[in-house]
Amino acid sequence: MTAATGQNAQLAARVRRARRGRAVARALVGVELALVALPLAIIAVWAFTDAWPWPDLWPQQLSARGIEQALSGRQNAGVQTLALSIGIAAATAVVSTAAAALACRALCHFQWRGRSAFQFAALLPFIIPSTVFAMGVQVVFLQAGLARTVPGVVLAHSIVALPYAIIIMTDITRAAGTRREDAARTLGAGTWQMLRHVTIPQLLPGILSSLSMCYIMSFSQYFLTLLVGGGKVQTFVLVLFPYLSGGDRTIACAYSLVFLVVTFAVFFVFELLLRRFGVREGDDLYD
Amino acid sequence: MELSLENIDLTLGGKPILHDVGFTVPDGAFASILGESGAGKSTTLKIISGLVPQDSGRVLFDGACIDDVPTHKRDVAIVFQDIRLFPNMDVAHNVAFPLKMRKVARAERMRVAEEMLAAVHLEGFGRRRTYELSGGQQQRVALARALAARPKALLLDEPFSGLDEQLRDEMRTLVSSLHERFGMTSLMVTHDPDEALTMSDAIMFMSDGRLVQAGTPADMLLHPAHEAVSACFGDAAAIEGAVAGGAFTAGKLALPAPDVPDGPAVLVRVPDREPFVHAL
Amino acid sequence: MAIISRRARRKAAPYLMVLPALLLLAVFAYGVGSGVVQGFGVMPFLDRTEPALAYYEEALTRSDLLDSILFSLYLSAVSSVGALIGGVALSAVMTRAEASRFVRLAGIQVPIATMHALVALALICLFTGAGLFPRLLHVVGLAPDATAFPSVVGAPSGWGIIAVYLWKEIPFVAFTTLTIMMNISASYGEAASTLGASSLRTFSSVTLPLCRGPLLRAFLVVFAFAFGSYEIPFLLEPTVPKALPVLAYIEFQDPDIINRCYAMALNGIMAGICTVLCIIYYVVLQRERVPKGRP
Repeated sequence: MTAATGQNAQLAARVRRARRGRAVARALVGVELALVALPLAIIAVWAFTDAWPWPDLWPQQLSARGIEQALSGRQNAGVQTLALSIGIAAATAVVSTAAAALACRALCHFQWRGRSAFQFAALLPFIIPSTVFAMGVQVVFLQAGLARTVPGVVLAHSIVALPYAIIIMTDITRAAGTRREDAARTLGAGTWQMLRHVTIPQLLPGILSSLSMCYIMSFSQYFLTLLVGGGKVQTFVLVLFPYLSGGDRTIACAYSLVFLVVTFAVFFVFELLLRRFGVREGDDLYD
Repeated sequence: MELSLENIDLTLGGKPILHDVGFTVPDGAFASILGESGAGKSTTLKIISGLVPQDSGRVLFDGACIDDVPTHKRDVAIVFQDIRLFPNMDVAHNVAFPLKMRKVARAERMRVAEEMLAAVHLEGFGRRRTYELSGGQQQRVALARALAARPKALLLDEPFSGLDEQLRDEMRTLVSSLHERFGMTSLMVTHDPDEALTMSDAIMFMSDGRLVQAGTPADMLLHPAHEAVSACFGDAAAIEGAVAGGAFTAGKLALPAPDVPDGPAVLVRVPDREPFVHAL
Repeated sequence: MAIISRRARRKAAPYLMVLPALLLLAVFAYGVGSGVVQGFGVMPFLDRTEPALAYYEEALTRSDLLDSILFSLYLSAVSSVGALIGGVALSAVMTRAEASRFVRLAGIQVPIATMHALVALALICLFTGAGLFPRLLHVVGLAPDATAFPSVVGAPSGWGIIAVYLWKEIPFVAFTTLTIMMNISASYGEAASTLGASSLRTFSSVTLPLCRGPLLRAFLVVFAFAFGSYEIPFLLEPTVPKALPVLAYIEFQDPDIINRCYAMALNGIMAGICTVLCIIYYVVLQRERVPKGRP
């Protein structure tokens, strides 16, 4: 990059300016990543801390007692609790995503009376706090025999997750359009064949991100689970929450760490699936 | 403004895109870069406008190197192949956009916008939303927007490729007449040999990131100096024009046609033969 | 005949498709509605059917309740405005830095996937008296002991609550705009700069207006969430005033079942404020519905 190689100083200056701009942006992104990592890191460190006297900057003694307790849980039910939470979250993800996928098909590809009213209604759980819903629905669920049951909790979670699923599915359904389905029809595909070979594959990236979003919504739902589950349906969050305001920070952080690991494991699986089946970077599948 | 490129080299992501590209477009001329897709034509426009910095070589406006000038201060407007009208503005605000960027007063902006819309035969379309227009109308708005900038050079990136054949002819005529009227240096990228032949004062032929031949349309047609050039002009085609005084003209293309009577005529290209002129 | 039945089926199809979602929404509406009705003192399961405005009146006139409403509004207003500004900035910086997919995952998806309450716990670990930050201050000689640093728990300004929401929602806002911004930068951004717009002008006159819909949407979602959620204020708030959802839950839990009516009145107020937001949101959504010019 010298004059001898035919490079000119003006060009070099402009390229340098552009690089500097990008370097500043990269540095800012680095700061953001650090701010994201800091709280997660402190939880991870505290989870293994046995003793951390003031004013040391690093724990004096590490141990796995917190993690052991978090995994065994109250009355050694830790793993069952986790399994139940994962089951509820998975069921919620499927229910919300399926309902949203169908509804979005009607919203994007059909004209019908009541369409905009439905659109308005679909946003309500987004905006009206789930605390309001939880306190109001408790009596209703008690009367209907849904309170304190797993299906009741799944139903309540699905309602709260629904608008997220609808937002995600609307975008992809609209982008996918009906052109390929029409083509498949003219080539002799029946309804199921069309769904199997055209519709579901082209919606798959949206379906996967909707599933993962709803899963996370359900998995981290505290207040709604508390009121609908009535303390009988013990999800992981319900076990974890009292520790958050309690005294033993190591236990609280250990539970939190287990929670984080499980969340990110699921998140990671969905990301792998997305990569396997979804849209690759710069690949305008839906042009 | 005279526009020159000197020894432009560019590699993107390890792939060589341009190699030693250099040419000059004289002030007020209409030039075309012709070539297959992937030849580096559009990238050349991006380098001229500063959207992509070259690895080495220089871009000169009127003999002065402008390589440290950022895109928005270069005064070269591009008419993009994919149009790129701003969907958040109506037609008039799209056209007035470059004037707003140059801090022209509002009343004057709107007056010029209306004038430019008239120049592209879209009087009274100012309040329309861009998505209400047909493809041809959108492309004309894009043209008006580029002209409103009063650019030192107008760059056209395959501006007609998204239009159907009849619209394309209308647009070619419109662009040629606007060039005549405003007289700014223009550089058009195209892969259509007839388009380049009839509209340009000069043609630069690019292949594989290199400039393989440059000359007047007649030169290129009659004396192709590279097999890619003869291949490009080798397909059978006919260009309608007229003969007067032993010369055939179609747009800016002028060829000797000594034995053809005056009147409407057609230039015929057939593979492996010299092109010839035939009276209609 | 066949034609007619096909047409009938096509007419019925959308209604069948929205049915599952509609059922879920009906349960939601029934739940919220039953709560609001209880706020008027109507509790059929206790044989109380006379509607009364007393609970709403009391909720709006009792000074501690009014303080709670104002405190909640303050928390959600600061959080949502901060998240909006921060989210736009994060999205712009990520676009400018040409952030890779991995960086976007780590910087945006990870905070979205992390539970709110865990962030509160992390803040407690960082900023209470014996937290890491006061220790750092001590090491550099600014804090003599563990009590010198004001704890994040119970701070009257609620800065801890706001910090949790910002940590979670700035990435959320960025998430809703990043794809759009990256696409705009590649197409309309180039067009604007060849027409004489500097990068700042391009951002203000093209990029931001095109992101307006999703941004307003994200803003309202964040506002409503911060306004109506229980966990974070419960963990971090001062003794008084209490955030509205926390207060409502305290009344809700009161052994005297009549206090439920206060809780429901508070919920009714929350639902009312949020419904106004929802209407704004819907109007915005309808405006955005216009087909866009293809980039």
